[in-house]
Amino acid sequence: MAYQLYRNTTSGNSLQESLEELIRGSLNIYRFCDNVWTFVLNDVEFREVTELIKVDKVKIVACDGKNSGSNTTE
Amino acid sequence: MIFLAEGMAKAALGRYWRKSPDLRAKQLLSWRRSAVIAAGERPLPCGLLPRSPLSPFLLVTRGLGAEFRVPSPALHWVPGGCGSLAWAGAEAQGTDPRAPARPLLARTPARPRLANCARGADKRPVRHARSLDLSCSSTRLGAPLFRLPALLTLGPPPMEEEQAYLELYLDQCAAQDDLAPPRSLLLSPVVPDDGYIPNTSNSETVFNSHLEEVKASGHFSSVDLSFLPDELTQENKDQSVIRSKQDIEENCETPGQQSRMLLPREQDVGLGLISGSTLLNSHSQVYPGDADPVQPSPEKPNCTPLMSITPMTPVTPVSECSGIVPQLQNIVSTVNLACKLDLKKIALHAKNAEYNPKRFAAVIMRIREPRTTALIFSSGKMVCTGAKSEEQSRLAARKYARVVQKLGFPARFLDFKIQNMVGSCDVRFPIRLEGLVLTHQQFSSYEPELFPGLIYRMVKPRIVLLIFVSGKVVLTGAKERSEIYEAFENIYPILKGFKKA
Repeated sequence: MAYQLYRNTTSGNSLQESLEELIRGSLNIYRFCDNVWTFVLNDVEFREVTELIKVDKVKIVACDGKNSGSNTTE
Repeated sequence: MIFLAEGMAKAALGRYWRKSPDLRAKQLLSWRRSAVIAAGERPLPCGLLPRSPLSPFLLVTRGLGAEFRVPSPALHWVPGGCGSLAWAGAEAQGTDPRAPARPLLARTPARPRLANCARGADKRPVRHARSLDLSCSSTRLGAPLFRLPALLTLGPPPMEEEQAYLELYLDQCAAQDDLAPPRSLLLSPVVPDDGYIPNTSNSETVFNSHLEEVKASGHFSSVDLSFLPDELTQENKDQSVIRSKQDIEENCETPGQQSRMLLPREQDVGLGLISGSTLLNSHSQVYPGDADPVQPSPEKPNCTPLMSITPMTPVTPVSECSGIVPQLQNIVSTVNLACKLDLKKIALHAKNAEYNPKRFAAVIMRIREPRTTALIFSSGKMVCTGAKSEEQSRLAARKYARVVQKLGFPARFLDFKIQNMVGSCDVRFPIRLEGLVLTHQQFSSYEPELFPGLIYRMVKPRIVLLIFVSGKVVLTGAKERSEIYEAFENIYPILKGFKKA
């Protein structure tokens, strides 16, 4: 399943999924290097059962790990 | 020749040139539509490969001329091969009161001419596979007004073809839609011929210089990409030079088909307006000198004379052409940035980039406008996909090159080439794929258990079509937009033959 993204790109006919996300959602920048994903989102709303947090800018750094991905927010 | 006031025409053309290429194409269409409708004729039906449009200046003048009866009988001296069905019809019917109706050539007046079509080396129009010939009687011959003349030149350069094809097909669609033509440009008081000649020459010089200047600047890309100096400007210069050379050659090859009524293509600004001015001048004379036709190609004096026009085949009826334009969905192009790249640095510093060397040895970068994806390799070569037009693909590739350059690499822009174009359309009726594969088995392969579409490999042009039961058609494998259109025009009558009852 993880190969599907690259199967598309190796054929040269990349899907525009990331850009669809950019247009539809609030994803500003994405990056993937050294197995680390970095996302920058704008105007994000974190909703939990009890509370709601609104943020102008969110940077998500995600690593692929055997245990879990780590997230930091600023 | 009836004309707008010089200021109005200039303003109209100024507005025209300030538009983007897409809007310009639409403006050309609307002018052309008005002219054609005012002349009481249909737009050119398909079945023939279309040609390039007139320059906007000429379109405006033609459009205006279509509105009013030209008092001079000079227009009747159009030889048979000059694309004026109206004149041919007028001669046949004898309805025009003005003309002594002395044909320039010894030819039957009742033969309509195909003005706006491609011509082969023998000057016969190049036809699509299944277009029919029609007699003169089936064409609509309206009042002997100035019909929008067409351009009988061979092989327009690719840049103009997109406009030409767009224009042609939007014309057909517009004719079907019964749009009210915009009249603002065409409404003007009747001005006597004689008094206007000096004005037109002034307009012409103004427009001529304006058009030449715009042409020289490489008007396609509106983004300032001057940071890529060498190859960009060189490419533009080369293209302009090549285009003008083609124009000169083509104008020489088909001089007989160019009368004072016809004008060369848009790029050939100088020659076109020379022709235009002689044409306009001739209108003020009672009888223009046949011995002194327009010199369409002064550079090559050894062209065949006006007398050698071959008759044009009649126009195919509108019902024969599909009226459907395939829409481009994807364009794949390649370019060489001509420097080694550090992909990791690019992936770390560029926005919207992915790089996973274990999976794929390239950076995958995306931009929003035009919405495209690029694969950038460490050799410096790049593939750009996802654009919807040739110009968008080129612009996107330049933007990627700019990103790479801003990261500190000495990127250039060499050998931009479109590798593949994909188009799609809908014929709007269900298709019997089984029947199609039986009769066209040497071209088709249809395995419904493998893939629900029939794969039709057309030989000329070399295009692969995916044809589905619903009537949707995908065309791919083209290097040029015209190949997509030609392939669809070839397949449409075949598909009609396999319409599901």
